[in-house]
Amino acid sequence: MKSIGIIANPASGKDIRRLVSHATVVDNNEKVNIVKRIILSAQGCGVDRIYIMPDTFLIGYKAIEDLKISRELKIDVEILNMNIKGNVMDTIQATKIMEEKGVKCLVVLGGDGTNRAVAKSITTTPLIGVSTGTNNVYPQMIEGTVVGMAAGIMATGICSIDDCCSKDKRVEIFRDGQLIDIALVDCVISRQKYVGSKAIWNMEDIDMVIVSRAHPASIGFSTIVGTSLIVRTDDDFGALIQVNTGSHRVKAPVAAGTIREISVGEVRSLKLDEAFYFKPGYNGIMALDGEREVPFKVGEEYQIKVTRNGPYRVIIDKTLELAQRNGFFKR
Amino acid sequence: MDLSNEKLIQMYRTMKRIREFETKAAELFAEGRIPGFVHLYIGEEAVATGVCANLKDSDYITSTHRGHGHIIAKGGDLKYMFAELFGRETGYCKGKGGSMHIADADRGILGANGIVGAGHNIAVGAGLSAKYRDTDQVCVCFFGDGSTNQGTFHEALNMASIWKLPVIFVCENNLYGISMHQSRHQAIQDVADRAVAYNMPGVVVDGNDVLAVYEAAKEAVDRARNGQGPTLIECKTYRHRGHFEGDPTVYRDEEEVKEWLQKDPIPRLVEFMLDNNVVTEEEIKKIDEEIAAEIKEAIKFAEESPFPPVEAAVEDIYTDIVEEVRS
Repeated sequence: MKSIGIIANPASGKDIRRLVSHATVVDNNEKVNIVKRIILSAQGCGVDRIYIMPDTFLIGYKAIEDLKISRELKIDVEILNMNIKGNVMDTIQATKIMEEKGVKCLVVLGGDGTNRAVAKSITTTPLIGVSTGTNNVYPQMIEGTVVGMAAGIMATGICSIDDCCSKDKRVEIFRDGQLIDIALVDCVISRQKYVGSKAIWNMEDIDMVIVSRAHPASIGFSTIVGTSLIVRTDDDFGALIQVNTGSHRVKAPVAAGTIREISVGEVRSLKLDEAFYFKPGYNGIMALDGEREVPFKVGEEYQIKVTRNGPYRVIIDKTLELAQRNGFFKR
Repeated sequence: MDLSNEKLIQMYRTMKRIREFETKAAELFAEGRIPGFVHLYIGEEAVATGVCANLKDSDYITSTHRGHGHIIAKGGDLKYMFAELFGRETGYCKGKGGSMHIADADRGILGANGIVGAGHNIAVGAGLSAKYRDTDQVCVCFFGDGSTNQGTFHEALNMASIWKLPVIFVCENNLYGISMHQSRHQAIQDVADRAVAYNMPGVVVDGNDVLAVYEAAKEAVDRARNGQGPTLIECKTYRHRGHFEGDPTVYRDEEEVKEWLQKDPIPRLVEFMLDNNVVTEEEIKKIDEEIAAEIKEAIKFAEESPFPPVEAAVEDIYTDIVEEVRS
């Protein structure tokens, strides 16, 4: 069976960053359109079965209905039979079910947060993240048709994981020796005390940024590192930097349309699996991939590590080039 | 974000006052002591509280048929509110408006409103007035998800955007327009998506988290005061009770209700405050007792107040016909 899975998060791209910055707006009907394009191009590239996560906006059902009406749908598309909660647990559960069903590629429409949820449960299935969130770092802004082609190529087995995927890094957060959470891109240590509207944007509250990757061409807090030190996805290290302190000044694109000048300390690289010990002197919160997630308190002890335990991410250009060289497109 | 302990306690107090007012209103209505209809705000307290915590007395709000919470959060007096519900002369509308028409111009409360979608354009008018007079006032327009299918919603957002008016549109999306689930009357899930058509920011927040609402409202209010124009905030929330008191709520299943009850905004804030040493349990208890006493006093005031005289039926209306009727 040449199958792929699609997870489309109906809640991505709606948060407060539309108000505090100039973040992209992607409405749910556009997500339906993207899913339709992925289905059609995957179908055109040899996929014979697609599983879709059910969601509160019925993105999958709407896509299937439209494609049936237009008589373009030729393959089996199945909405997973699972109870939905309308929260992040749906994504985590759907990832597990799709892996059990043996999908050869998982396509995820959402932001950094959605991909982070997938990364919590995915094991060896290659992942394609399609950005429908807030000017993301991990998922790419990429046309659904191309995504469907790459997913189709992975499903047909022409290209292997070794050939076409990057095993990503992630930031791991340990409390009392137990892994409690992860980030795919960055962990921000903030003096804010509550989760509130989740997104983090107040530079004044931030003390430190720990990254698995960093580049000035991204958007978000990882760029505070990236404007001093580029950390690529294939580099076997991460980095950390202290913020709002130190003698250096950098300007960084911390949000969409927002270039901020910030005082920073020296960038310090963090080897893979090397622990950074954090013992907070105040109550605050860790933001993971831009969302306030882990409240911490005085007296607790944390270890933060950059590891190579992230998902296998499909490198789309490489996949399509390899398929071309292998004659995949010739008829 | 500057959220002092005092502010947090103030927000707890406001939510609790709303909850207790509404709980008492339900009891009084069930006992037949309140005439007319009541639509209760229980479960949605975080929205009015988080938004109004950012407003000044001089700012405006427009409200809905489910308006008690908005009025309390904007500083309404419980005595005059209960008096209005009881139909007494001392009420906000001299006992002639009832639950759905409470207004207090002195506090910028431009009225609850029995007509779905009628507040939108009043809010635009208030925003235009503030801009025309060059004040720093803003107007918050509260409304439900059902009203966003009304033409007034679209007219209001369009005009507010064109004129860059200081209006914050706050949608209280409690999933149902009376008994109809949102998925059956709208081709969208997030009302905030409609903002893009009117060139204004549209954001979704957890309407059962007063801190999340506060943050979003603060940004929107600052934006409005800075002359940057309107914002649409969609607060995902849930009413614990029926559309109106007496509604059997057969249209929603028990699991859904149970799930939302677990997201009750008041215990969530209490947990946060206790966890962060903002208050002690004893201090919470003291606040609760003060509110209970205030409610008791307000009901006593209302019940001891007189009914309006018969001739009041033809007063405070617009037409000259009054004199003819009198004669």
